[in-house]
Amino acid sequence: MSIKVHIHKTHRQSTDGKEVVKTAGNSVGECLKNLVETYPGMQDVLFEKNGKLRNLIEVYVNHESAYPDELKKAVKDGDEIHLTFMLAGG
Amino acid sequence: MAILTANELERYDRQIMMGEIGQKGQEKLKNARAFIAGAGGLGSPISIYLAAAGVGTIRIVDQDRVDLSNLNRQVLHWNDDIGETKADSALAKLADLNPTINVEASCETITDKNISHLVADLDLIVDAMDNLPTRYLLNKAALDMNIPFFHGAVRGFEGRAMTIIPGKTACLRCMYKGPIPEEKFPVIGVAPAVIGSIQATEVIKYIIGAGDLLENRMLVYDGLTMNFTEFKIKKNPNCDHCSYST
Ligand SMILES: [Zn+2]
Repeated sequence: MSIKVHIHKTHRQSTDGKEVVKTAGNSVGECLKNLVETYPGMQDVLFEKNGKLRNLIEVYVNHESAYPDELKKAVKDGDEIHLTFMLAGG
Repeated sequence: MAILTANELERYDRQIMMGEIGQKGQEKLKNARAFIAGAGGLGSPISIYLAAAGVGTIRIVDQDRVDLSNLNRQVLHWNDDIGETKADSALAKLADLNPTINVEASCETITDKNISHLVADLDLIVDAMDNLPTRYLLNKAALDMNIPFFHGAVRGFEGRAMTIIPGKTACLRCMYKGPIPEEKFPVIGVAPAVIGSIQATEVIKYIIGAGDLLENRMLVYDGLTMNFTEFKIKKNPNCDHCSYST
């Protein structure tokens, strides 16, 4: 069981510079929990104090939006998760 | 359909040669009326390329004056323009680039009160804003008026673009989770140059009816790795902006 999580470059300071992290879990939420266990700095990057996914964070599974209820989205072996965030500049 | 003059046939010769455009397409461009929301980093390449391509009416709105710190990316404005309104600076450059088109520029803040007035009689809205709240205003206005909305945004070396067709595609609001904190975003001029050019390409394709638009596809560009990644976006049946349109 392995799900690759692609980390946005601005967040890689929390993953020792790693671009792709292998995680395990049956849902996006489980994989992100697994990610945070290895890289605790990702907790604050991804989540509010109350555990809710931050508003600006976007989650894609196999290049498809996992919105809404991103954390409940089921994943299986070989799936890839991309974590990115909304851009506002122009 | 407006007939092309001899001067226009020569000006647009290289693109009229293209099978996708031809004289018919060029006439469509001449008849098109575009709203460009912002004359900054994105608004510069968008307005320059739409003016050069011969989009017949361009209305561009920006609330700011040209500042020295704008000049690393906002190529519509030059050193001598510092202190001028971006609207005046944009109007002068675009009219000089292509005097055969109609350019209207105004210095005002886009709000929920004036947006329908600003966009009235136009065919499409191009996103060249520097903040998300105004982007959502534009998104909603485009859906309400049943005209397309060409989204673009940048940060650093990165950017993204998506095209929204009311009643057909996901909209910018379909993934909304709530407000996000505003930041003074870092950016290098080549990022809005790439994204603004992609938005202008989408606008031209839409007007002439060629190719495949970025419908339900968020195109994400990373200038550092030179990768384009495409993410599929679904229309949200509960979206507070587009759920009523089918
Ligand atoms: Zn929507």
